[in-house]
Amino acid sequence: MYLPDFEYYAPDSIAEACKLLSQFGPRAKVLAGGTDLIAKMKNEVLKPEILISIKKLDQMKKIEYVPGKGVVIGARSTHNDLVNSKVLNEKYLSISEAAHQMAANQVRNAGTVGGNISNAVPSADLPPIFIALNAAVKVTGVKGERSLALEDVFAGPGKTNLTQDEIITEVIIPDQKMTGSNYIKFGLRGAGALAVVGVAVAVQVENNVIKDARVALGAVAATPVRAKKTEEFLKGKKVSDEVLAEAGVIASGECKPISDVRASAEYRTDMVRVFTKRALRAAIDKGHV
Amino acid sequence: MSEKNFNVIGKGKPRYDGRVKVTGAAKYCGDLKFPNMLYGKMLGSPYAHAKILSIDTSEAMKIPGVKAVITAKDVPSLKYGISPARWDENCLCIEKALFVGDKVAAVACVDEETCYKALKAIKVEYEVLKPVLDYMHADEDDMPQIHEKYAKNINTEIHQEFGDIKKAFAEAHYVRTDTFVGQRCYQCPIEPHSAVCIWQDNKLTVYSSTQSVHYFQHYIAREFELPMGDVRVIAPFVGGGFGGKLEPTGLEFNGAALSRITGRPVKMFYDRQEMFQHNRGRHQGTYKITSGVDKDGKILGCHVDFQTDGGAYTSLGIATAYYAGALLPLTYEIPVYKFDNRRMYTNLPACGAHRGHGAPQPKYAFESHMDNIAKAMGIDPLDIRLRNARRPNTETVNNFKVNSCGMKECLERAGELSDWRKKKKEGLPKGRGIGISTGSFVTGAGYPIYRTDLPHASCMIRVHEDGTSATLYSGTVDIGQGSHTILCQMAAEAMGYRYENMKMVASDTETCPLDFGAYASRQTLMSGSAVKQAGEEIYRQIIDMASTMLNLPPEDLKCELGVISSISRPKVAPITFEEVARRFFVLRGPLIAKGVYTPPRLGGTFKGAPVGTSPAYSFCVQAAEVQIDEETGKIDVERVWDVHDVGQVINPVNLHGQVHGALYMGLGETIWEQVHFDSNGKIVNGNLGGYMIMTALDMPPITSEVLEDSYEIAGPWGAKEVGEGATNPTIGAFRNAIFDAMGVSVNSVPLTYEKVWRALKEKRESENK
Repeated sequence: MYLPDFEYYAPDSIAEACKLLSQFGPRAKVLAGGTDLIAKMKNEVLKPEILISIKKLDQMKKIEYVPGKGVVIGARSTHNDLVNSKVLNEKYLSISEAAHQMAANQVRNAGTVGGNISNAVPSADLPPIFIALNAAVKVTGVKGERSLALEDVFAGPGKTNLTQDEIITEVIIPDQKMTGSNYIKFGLRGAGALAVVGVAVAVQVENNVIKDARVALGAVAATPVRAKKTEEFLKGKKVSDEVLAEAGVIASGECKPISDVRASAEYRTDMVRVFTKRALRAAIDKGHV
Repeated sequence: MSEKNFNVIGKGKPRYDGRVKVTGAAKYCGDLKFPNMLYGKMLGSPYAHAKILSIDTSEAMKIPGVKAVITAKDVPSLKYGISPARWDENCLCIEKALFVGDKVAAVACVDEETCYKALKAIKVEYEVLKPVLDYMHADEDDMPQIHEKYAKNINTEIHQEFGDIKKAFAEAHYVRTDTFVGQRCYQCPIEPHSAVCIWQDNKLTVYSSTQSVHYFQHYIAREFELPMGDVRVIAPFVGGGFGGKLEPTGLEFNGAALSRITGRPVKMFYDRQEMFQHNRGRHQGTYKITSGVDKDGKILGCHVDFQTDGGAYTSLGIATAYYAGALLPLTYEIPVYKFDNRRMYTNLPACGAHRGHGAPQPKYAFESHMDNIAKAMGIDPLDIRLRNARRPNTETVNNFKVNSCGMKECLERAGELSDWRKKKKEGLPKGRGIGISTGSFVTGAGYPIYRTDLPHASCMIRVHEDGTSATLYSGTVDIGQGSHTILCQMAAEAMGYRYENMKMVASDTETCPLDFGAYASRQTLMSGSAVKQAGEEIYRQIIDMASTMLNLPPEDLKCELGVISSISRPKVAPITFEEVARRFFVLRGPLIAKGVYTPPRLGGTFKGAPVGTSPAYSFCVQAAEVQIDEETGKIDVERVWDVHDVGQVINPVNLHGQVHGALYMGLGETIWEQVHFDSNGKIVNGNLGGYMIMTALDMPPITSEVLEDSYEIAGPWGAKEVGEGATNPTIGAFRNAIFDAMGVSVNSVPLTYEKVWRALKEKRESENK
């Protein structure tokens, strides 16, 4: 395996990066952590001629709470930045926990939040928990900034709704009423495994009644998906094992997994049932988002 | 019984090469650089089965930095292999490519990058042929024939019968047939294969990451029609082999050809994907076993009927095919035995020797079958094994002579350690189960891979002129298993010297006496026997010299840890090994000794009788406890217990390391590992992300013990193997633990979570009917 030749740019501003992306069109790709891009180039899955590194853009590497806006995660934050962020540990521990389940330590040190989203891999670990927490992304292009719901970023495996010149700059977790959240990654070994099924949930429980719920599924459709029927079913229900089990059954009807070497569609579907139930129970019991 | 007052062996001495390895100072083949060295790569076929119509190398040759591009016409056309009965591979494909990655052309360039550019510029015109991808249907009429000489794609066919199997079944109280299926696995040594070939002044020097410098020398010399003396093979530090680096590859053959053409050293290497394609890993197979037992569960006869997938070439597969059935009658006394096996050619990467050579998958089938019999008859799995356990000083039905054998003791001890009886009596919590399984393996093969009357092992020891160090010269290869350490311990023990003062020159055909190398778990016993002999000769010469110096009879002197003293006169001041060795050099010249080892004539006279013969056999038992998640099928391994009969332990730290390493590989193959192919025969998970070897987080707690009093008469100081035997029982122990926990049998490996889930689902559905 060998890395083909490419041209390399490391712009000093986001605007300049967008300009370069616009100028070179589909021949260019953004390089952040490189954990996915470089491997795909070596395997000739992707063949960009130009790489635009955003390593100088330090303004994209912050995790902070902005009153009135929510928790703002710079897209260049690494997975281990999420694991170790004080802000996240205090406000959204489930995000830190989800990041900790990813890949291996080396990859967590290099891979970025923006990369995990913009790769649009169906089994990515961060999108489900972000979607469950109603996250938005800020993207910047030559025409300026725009914001969209995270779940609207994905168009298909490896495809996003971003234009060629756009870069994800921030993920924003809005203030919310959810009382608990949780992400369960079901991989086939202790580390370095892709999710066979990923289930993220967020719930608002008051007096043992589920006021609100969001359920997001990973690795079981062409993109991360919301289980909206499951959410509707849960709203207003009193918490019980039967209700959570029923929610699992409904969620398993909302996924469209494929069969591959890791698991069959049939197994994935049933695991959605099992892990939706378990993720809900954990989100309700652990008492933090 | 064994003499336990050892000074050097039996102790956990630190690794001979530990420091250089952990500091990164050790140079592996891929680290080597020579003046003017070129880099070489091979072009692999993109098709599993294709006729090569034409190859145009002209564009590649125009690229600056490309020094040579070769195809089949530039290399010898002599077919090679490692099993002489089936030489079927060419340096570069002549008419057809037989698997995805099969070698079609090779380049030598000034750097690695240019190699990839050159490979892209080679134009090959193929006629794509229908591939044979399913070994169970490879013999059908509509399947193309892969090799001209082998009809119905049968590579090897074995039919052996010992005793009257029909009669045994007719007289049995209970006869049962079970079928189990194995998967393709790959060894995944951490160090990729590489070779540096230097063909200069009519001499070919090959540095290679190999398990055997001798077999490489033999086969490379044969291919290029050179006298063995003009081929020098050197193994630098080697980062794991596990059977996959026992045979020379296109790296050596094409590297040598490229070096001859360019007159420059050429370094060739595989990347991870190419390692998976070159393969020589575990054969997959379908294993059908029928046994008849008496009313107590005692085996009266077994018929094993196997079919295995050999891939596109033979590699070591003939031995694998024989080993698959030959080793089964070892742990249990099987009085009547019939063994059938067909190894099929397919258009997939060639399979070969993989730690536990041929044995682990059939053993999984047999041990699972034993538990099925036990359950059907209401016998405890430990008891049915105790009733059938082999006894010492017996002979198997297929003529393997067993000396030491602690099978029964291993079973009993594993039962104690795992609290088997209590757990069986009181029951385990829901989802929890415990399984037990046995294993046995050769301590070195009784016969060489190619026919020769050369001794299997030899060595030389030279004591430095001032006696402050001694060098052991041995053609053995330390592939990470620690053989340098234990051979130096053995040398020091025999010499009456200190391990810390031993040096080793090894794995070089020019400076070291012949040794067949690291395979079949042979170096401890075979190379060790030669080392012991050489060490004892040094000891004799030292004592003889000291006798002159002290004016005492030699039989009154002893030398321990480098100090020579009188046995009967404690007041005589001791003298040192160094003083005596120096005196020896002054008066008599270099203090040297040699050792040699040839195994006794072993085995029967029937066809295939040599495979599985060995001077000694290890025995072991593993018990495993698992917790199964009923909803997901996830397997949590609570603990594994391993009890081994290895004879005298030479280095306990090394020994338990081998058990842990074997369990790591065995458990990986049990639950996770499998090479997957797409419908065109291309590997889909040829990397360490997709091919799931275990991570540190998956490794269970292990209890590893040896039988303390075991002594093997055929081994040096009573020692026998450990490196491969411990892979034997693992799959069976886990299958049986899952069987115990959930009452479901998973009849194919890997025993994935999904398979357990499916078996549980099917059980529920059948109960609901």
